[in-house]
Amino acid sequence: MSERTVVDRLTCVLCPVGCELEVLKDATGELQVEANQCDKGLPFALEEVLRPRRNLATSVPVAGTAARMVSVRLTGPVPREIVFSILAEIAKLRPQAPVRRGQVLIANVLGAGVDVIATRSVR
Amino acid sequence: MSALRESCDVAVIGGGPAGLAAALGARRAGAGRVWLLERDKTLGGILNQCVHDGFGLFLYKETISGPEYAERLIEDVAKEPIRVLTGAMVLDLSPERVLRVNARDGYRVVEAGAVVLAMGCRERTRDMIEIPGPRPSGILTAGTAQNLVNLQNLRIGNEAVILGSGDIGLIMARRLVFEGLAVRGVFEIQAWPGGLERNVRQCLMDYGIPLELGSTVVEIRGRDRVESVVVAKVDEALAPVPGTEKVVPCDTLLLSVGLIPENELSRRAGVELSPITGGAVVDETLMTSVPGIFSCGNVLHIHDVADWASFEGFAAGERAARYAAGERGGGETVRVSASSNVRYALPQIVSRGLAGVEWSFRVRHPVRDAAVEVRGRVSGRVYARRKFGRLLPSELQKIKVAPAVEEDLEVVSP
Repeated sequence: MSERTVVDRLTCVLCPVGCELEVLKDATGELQVEANQCDKGLPFALEEVLRPRRNLATSVPVAGTAARMVSVRLTGPVPREIVFSILAEIAKLRPQAPVRRGQVLIANVLGAGVDVIATRSVR
Repeated sequence: MSALRESCDVAVIGGGPAGLAAALGARRAGAGRVWLLERDKTLGGILNQCVHDGFGLFLYKETISGPEYAERLIEDVAKEPIRVLTGAMVLDLSPERVLRVNARDGYRVVEAGAVVLAMGCRERTRDMIEIPGPRPSGILTAGTAQNLVNLQNLRIGNEAVILGSGDIGLIMARRLVFEGLAVRGVFEIQAWPGGLERNVRQCLMDYGIPLELGSTVVEIRGRDRVESVVVAKVDEALAPVPGTEKVVPCDTLLLSVGLIPENELSRRAGVELSPITGGAVVDETLMTSVPGIFSCGNVLHIHDVADWASFEGFAAGERAARYAAGERGGGETVRVSASSNVRYALPQIVSRGLAGVEWSFRVRHPVRDAAVEVRGRVSGRVYARRKFGRLLPSELQKIKVAPAVEEDLEVVSP
């Protein structure tokens, strides 16, 4: 019988069932996912262990207004390692009013394949 | 003194996720004159400061930020002839549904055919939980900190400690890290985290922020500004254990220790409140003990998912419109209580003979592989039974009862 160690335990969030997944590593270093009730659980858990991705949200001041802020987020998750680099890019932003909800403020930020968008409208 | 006296069919008090939906629900059910009263400068309520995503999964089938979610509802409201008054504080509500309003253009008296209470909630404060120590600056509720950071661009401190691991505390831990603050730890009095597991992972574990369960802040130190907090372990009765104290240096303490439905106006109108939820006692139509006054959203009971607050809003608005149009219930009712591991169940009152009623409930303690039953309080007859792999106090759950309800019920989880 192979020796397996638990690498991670996490609840899948892809559907309301919320399977409590376990990621195990065997003697060869291969990873296995257990307790998923559908196929989607596998890549979800493996990605979280091997290549975790995150979205992020913050807010930036809008030029041409009296200290109004516009909230922003990414259009999709990015590798966790570049979160702070992206925040540094966002911190340089001073979008000019008016800003429209959904407006792209930085396209393809740091080449990560996602945009930074405004999540509200500011007149 | 003469006041501007007007009337409307449905008056909605509060323009957040529940109130916006209630105004739309009332219009879509045919109410002619719908007013939406919001005391803040803009509509949106708490959503305006919730810049993170996770909203809209159920209402819009995609996950978006709070401001986006709010703006979509606000745009839908703007398409309808709904009278929106922002900067309008409702000072009084009578059982006869007369509102006294401090509006931007002066004092108004509004007579409503039906009223929807959607005032949301406020946060529990340091004074309310009586943390000993002086009153230095740097002590904030997590929601206040969120407002200052996200809407007012303020740096609230340098080194923070967070008391309470509900989602607001977890979200703000990450938010402060994004703004360059050091977060020394999150302390949670219960033996389990208060918020979503995903948030513990993405807000704390990702940044190496320790989460200490079974702990609380027992003293605040500092004269003009917070200098440190003293934390200690607690026992099963949640009392601090002497000898377990440690000092955590910090200049900011965020409190995420509970939300309280804001029912001052409801009390003035004579609405019966539940001491367990802090919100109104309602029937299956979300009507309170005062005829024609309905309740929804966080002012009724604290929600974890904004979409559910909106769904309650749509339902309450529709029922309010029907009431204003002359529809009346008034038959016999039965009362529904909660016991054992079920902390509360809504609605607390149901029309006798009604079938297909769905209850919302929360458990007291986390439990695995548990069954929840709706049964006759005296007869013990089981009307519905549902098994759950896991139940957490932080997750609002539902149970539907197919057969007609014929007696007083209780919702239990042995």
